[in-house]
Amino acid sequence: MEKQIIIALGREFGSGGHEAGEILAERYGIAFLDHVLLQKIAEEKHIDLKLLERYDEKPKNKLFSRTVAGYSSALEEHVANIQFDYIHQLADAGKSFVIVGRCAEYILRGNPVLLSVFVLGNKETKCARIMKKYDLTEEEAYKMMKRKDATRKNYHNYYCDGKWGDSRNYDLCINSSNLGVEGVVEIIDDLIRRRLERVDNQ
Amino acid sequence: MIAQMMAVTIFVIMFALIVSEKIERQWASLGCGALMLVVVFGICMQSWSAVWETLNFREMVTIPFWYAGSAAEEISTGVNWATILFIAGMMVMVEGMGKSGFFRWLCLRIAKAVKYKAIPILISFMLISFVLAMFIDSITVILFLAAVTVELAGLLQFSPIPVILAEVFCANLGGSATMCGDPPNIIIGTSLGYSFGDFITNTGVLAVISLVVVVCYFYLCFRKKLAQNLGQIDVHSFPEPDSAIQNKKDFCVSCMIFGTAVLLLITHAMTGLTVATIGTGIALITLFTSGKDAFLLLKKIDYKTLLFFIGLFIVVGGLEKTGILELIASVIEQISGDDPKLMIAIILWISAFASAFVDNIPFAATMIPVIKSLSAATGLDLSVLAWTLAVGTDIGGSATPIGASANVVGISIASQNGHMIGWGKYCKYLAPATILVICISMLGIYIRYF
Repeated sequence: MEKQIIIALGREFGSGGHEAGEILAERYGIAFLDHVLLQKIAEEKHIDLKLLERYDEKPKNKLFSRTVAGYSSALEEHVANIQFDYIHQLADAGKSFVIVGRCAEYILRGNPVLLSVFVLGNKETKCARIMKKYDLTEEEAYKMMKRKDATRKNYHNYYCDGKWGDSRNYDLCINSSNLGVEGVVEIIDDLIRRRLERVDNQ
Repeated sequence: MIAQMMAVTIFVIMFALIVSEKIERQWASLGCGALMLVVVFGICMQSWSAVWETLNFREMVTIPFWYAGSAAEEISTGVNWATILFIAGMMVMVEGMGKSGFFRWLCLRIAKAVKYKAIPILISFMLISFVLAMFIDSITVILFLAAVTVELAGLLQFSPIPVILAEVFCANLGGSATMCGDPPNIIIGTSLGYSFGDFITNTGVLAVISLVVVVCYFYLCFRKKLAQNLGQIDVHSFPEPDSAIQNKKDFCVSCMIFGTAVLLLITHAMTGLTVATIGTGIALITLFTSGKDAFLLLKKIDYKTLLFFIGLFIVVGGLEKTGILELIASVIEQISGDDPKLMIAIILWISAFASAFVDNIPFAATMIPVIKSLSAATGLDLSVLAWTLAVGTDIGGSATPIGASANVVGISIASQNGHMIGWGKYCKYLAPATILVICISMLGIYIRYF
C-alpha cells in the first residue's frame, strides 16, 4: 500500500478487536501497534520495557500522585504521553499502521487518513472468547472482562474529551458478536478501500 | 459547637478536594474559604467582625506591615498578606531571572568547572540546589537543575536519576534553612514575627549540618551508579555556559536584582524592612527594568498559588476562631504531659509524616496557632516549637514522591525524558535520607535548646 493508512481500533475486552487489527495490518502489510509500540519506544529511548509495561494503559492513581504547576508525578501519565508523542511522530512521518487502544482515535483526531473504529460485543460472546483464550471459568472470564474494560474506560476518559465507546467519537462502531472477527475485518477493509478510491478520484 | 463542627467539615472537604485534584486547588481553598466566612462566621457565629479580622485587609494599611523598625512585629491572625506579597514579588524576580538565562548559565558553568565528571556534578549540583533553594522557590530550582541534569546525563552517558533525586532532597533541605526558602517558613516567620537571621541561625544551622551528612549519604548511595566512561566523549562539543545567556544586559540586571534581594533579606532585621516591602520592592524593580517585557512577566505570575494561599488562610482562620486548633494543642499537651522533649518529638515527627503525604503549606498554616497555644499553655519557648515545625514540614516532604513540589517537578522532568522514577525507586533513597535528617534535627534541637 503506497497511500498512508491509519486505523485506530478501540475495543471492548474479548470483542476480538485486537485480532481484527492484526489481520488488517497483515492484509495491508503495515505495522500493527499494540504493546509492540512500547517495545519500539523502549528500544529507541533506552527505557526499561518492563517499567513501561507496568504503567501502560492504566489511569493514574490519584491518591499516590500529585500535580504541581502542570508537572505530574504519575508515571502512568508519562508513559501515556510518551506513547502519544510517538504516535504523532509516526503519523506525521507518513507511516501507515493499525493501532489498538492508547486513545489513538483522540490523539490523531483531525488527521485526514485516520479511520477510527470501536469494536464491541455481547457479554456472552465476549465471555466465551475470553474463557477459550485464557482457559477460565465463566465467572472468572466475566470478572476479568469487567476489570479490563473498567481500566480501559478510566484510562481513555482521563486523557480524552470524548467517552470511551461513545459512537460520536468514532467513524464506525461494530458489534463483533453479530459478524464475527472476519466480518469486522471485511467491513473495515471495505471502508478503507472506498476511502482510498475516493482519494484517488479527487 | 455547631460552628466548630462546620469549620472542621469545611477544612476536611478542602483537604479532600486538594488531594483528589477534582478541581484546581485554588478553587478548592477559595470556595471553602468563602463557605467558612458565610457559614461559620456569618451564620453560626453571627460575627461579622470575625470575617473582617480574618480577611485582615486592615493589616496592609498599618506601618508595621511595611516597616517593622528595629522590633519584629507579631502579626494578627487571618490572611497573611505579607506572605502573599513576598511570594508574588519573588515570582516576578524569578521569572525575570529565568528569561535572562541565569539558571541555565549557572548550571552549565558549574558542570564545566568540574570538567563534566559525574560524581563532581552530583556533589556540586546538590550544593547549588541547596544554596539556590535558600532564596528562591524549590520548583524553579529543580525546573532548571533537572533539565540541565538530563541534558548533561545524555551527553555524558550516565543516568540522571541519582543526581535529580539528590538535587530534589537538597532543594527541600535548602528551603528549610531560611525564612524565604519554603512557603511554610515564610508563613511561620511572618505569622510569628521571626526574621531571616532568626531562621538562618536556627533552622539554617540544622540544615547545614544535615547537608554535610546527606552529601556523604548520596555519594555512598550513587557512586557506583554514576561510574561513566568518558573515553569517547568530546567535551568540546558541549554547550558553552555563555550560550545560555539570552541578553547580556538582562542577565546582568537579573544578577544584580537577585543579589539585592538576598542582601535585603539577610539584613531585614537591621533595616526594618518587612518581607512584604522587600517582595513588593523587588517585583517593582524587576518590572521597571524589564521595559516592554514587564507585562509578560506579570502574566507569568502563578496567580493560582497566590489565590490558593488566600483561601487557605481564611479556612485556617476559621479553625482558629472556632477554637478547634486550641483543642488540638490541648491534646498534644496531654499526650506529652510535662515533657517538653516529648512534645518536640511529637510535633517534629507528626509534621514530617503529614508533610510526606499531604501539602505541607496547609499543614504548617494550621499548626502555627497550635504551637502558639502550646507555648502559652506550657511555657515552652515558642521559637523552639517554630523551628521544630519548620524543619518537620520542610524536610518531611522529601520522603515520598508527592510530599513536596520539588519532588513532583523533578520526577516529572526525569520521566518526560524517559527516566522513570516510581515510588519504589524514590523512597528507596530519599525516605532513609529524610529519616536521617529528621533524627539529626531532633538531636540538634535537644542539644541546643534543652
